[in-house]
Amino acid sequence: MLKIENLHASVDGKEILKGIDLEINAGEVHAIMGPNGSGKSTLSNVLAGRPGYDVTEGAVHYNDKNLLELSPEERAWEGIFLAFQYPVEIPGVNNVYLLKAGLNAIRKHRGESELDAMDFMSIIREKMKLVDMDESLVRRSVNEGFSGGEKKRNEIFQMAVLEPKLAILDETDSGLDIDALKVVAGGVNKLRSKERAIVMITHYQRLLDYIEPDAVHVLADGRIVKTGDKSLALELEKRGYDWVLEETRV
Amino acid sequence: MTQPIKMLRDAAWQVYEQTGLPTTRNEDWKYTDLSRLTAVLGETWWTPSHAADLDKETVEEQSIPELDAYRLIFINGRFQEDMPNLPEGVSVVPLSTLLVSDADKAAKALEMDEKTPLFNGAIAVNTAMASDGACICIADGVKLDKPLYLLHVATSGGASHIRHGIWMGRGATAHVIEHYVGNSTDAGLTHNVTLVHLDEAATLYHDRLQLEAEKQFHLGRVDVKQLRNSRFVSHSLALGAALSRVDIAVSLSGVNASCVLNGLYLIGGRQHADHHTRIDHASPDCTSQETYKGVLSGRAHAVFNGKVVVHEGADGTDAKQSNGNLLLSDHAEVDTKPELEIYADEVKCAHGATVGQLDLEQLFYLQSRGLDKTSAKNVLTFAFADDALTQMISAPVRRYLERAALKRLPQGDELQEMV
Repeated sequence: MLKIENLHASVDGKEILKGIDLEINAGEVHAIMGPNGSGKSTLSNVLAGRPGYDVTEGAVHYNDKNLLELSPEERAWEGIFLAFQYPVEIPGVNNVYLLKAGLNAIRKHRGESELDAMDFMSIIREKMKLVDMDESLVRRSVNEGFSGGEKKRNEIFQMAVLEPKLAILDETDSGLDIDALKVVAGGVNKLRSKERAIVMITHYQRLLDYIEPDAVHVLADGRIVKTGDKSLALELEKRGYDWVLEETRV
Repeated sequence: MTQPIKMLRDAAWQVYEQTGLPTTRNEDWKYTDLSRLTAVLGETWWTPSHAADLDKETVEEQSIPELDAYRLIFINGRFQEDMPNLPEGVSVVPLSTLLVSDADKAAKALEMDEKTPLFNGAIAVNTAMASDGACICIADGVKLDKPLYLLHVATSGGASHIRHGIWMGRGATAHVIEHYVGNSTDAGLTHNVTLVHLDEAATLYHDRLQLEAEKQFHLGRVDVKQLRNSRFVSHSLALGAALSRVDIAVSLSGVNASCVLNGLYLIGGRQHADHHTRIDHASPDCTSQETYKGVLSGRAHAVFNGKVVVHEGADGTDAKQSNGNLLLSDHAEVDTKPELEIYADEVKCAHGATVGQLDLEQLFYLQSRGLDKTSAKNVLTFAFADDALTQMISAPVRRYLERAALKRLPQGDELQEMV
């Protein structure tokens, strides 16, 4: 589904990603871990098409398309979803309106008919249960006045509604207490499917206690320096990142 | 014309002849050049437009849809003989009638105080020339069940001089909508002064909606005197006209009076919109809240000046003011100036102004959820503007304005679902 080849990217002329190779298939869950400043968020932003990131080398193939040529909305239409590390507050723009406009744009792109208000609301109600989302939150302006946990929960709720093929969760666990983490992780688990790939970007192992990954990658200084299964995450939790960095330097 | 009215008119005309129209040398008119008015309409810019009739269909077309209200129609500044049946305690008499039947009351409606803030020669012309308007009296304790809707349609060039007066008795409540539209392809002038008196504990919701035709000039002034515990909630909108200037002056002259002044200007092309407001906190424990928002595209030019004066002894004043502007084009220009003068000790005052572009983080967020860039920009622009309308009391009025605002955005029609 997603094939990243020798990806180099820089921000403000400073190279952050220095040659990433990664392949992810439908149905897989990959965790990308790494110390602060290793380039984790840069990778997720480049994949989602955030402005301000220059790809200087390499390629990203997504279902036979050159991903880097697509605008952010075209990526959304093709089934890519980014759960933001810092979800943006948008006063005056209703959550329900945003999701309806987004979902209908995606459906239109797929050649499907647009949903009317009633069909749409029944989808909303069904997905709200998935992440235990309160209706009053759903009806408010996007993320306005939401707590940190509510914002993260809203991201997963949006993911549930938009049903992406490739979901990138950027530090979705940060800022969550243990109860909220369980709810969010529970929601993500329910969204696992054979057709969907999920990339989880995280600093800590604890999210992986609840969402079991198929593969774990360690990102350091803009490169993937080690790949393993979930036991790698446990080892990182115990021993920190230093040993990986030293091992790879040898 | 009765003798007292003639004297009043002559005196006002003399004031105009002495002072003339304000020029850009006047600090309050620095950015709004009325020589454009004389250049287009001539030195006799004040010449009244012709009387005209409008067919029912056109009137309905120009009206706010779905609005259940007591409607009064003014065409080229003249009241159309079609007075709605008003409930007890509510009196509305056209100024044209009062001029003939009750000189004292007419003189009250034409009152002019050269010492009021933001006074200028144009007001004197309005006093000298005003031929019609609505003189509205709401008796003590009366709560008007439906809005009074003053629809003004300009159908041809020339000037319409309109004078409204709203007198609210103790504890009375009303909603008055002044709506200015037109279908004239010639340049003309709408020139309105509205005097508002709020007795103790009276509440007036006042909407002033300027959606004139594109060549029209528009000069407006609202002069508000508030007594104890009264409340004035104003929404002033500028979406139309080539050049518009609206001054709102509120005097909080009784303990615990409060006012809300909200506004929105949404202009493009070469439109010019100027909003000056002045709030005088002349009594203790009064509250004023002001939020004006502006969205400018093309080569539009907007001016906002909000002055709050807290007078000596007006302790316990709470005054908040903000003006936010969104520039959608590199050629649009805004001159904003919040002003605060405080002569009392115990006051809470806050003011601020911003001028900016759309937030790129918000834009990316919307795009990442599937909205194309144009829609995402429209959504954010609309949300920014709509923030000025959240305190409007009438849903049909707000919906009408939201639809009008969307029409002015590129591909805004696709967003009609937002409202």
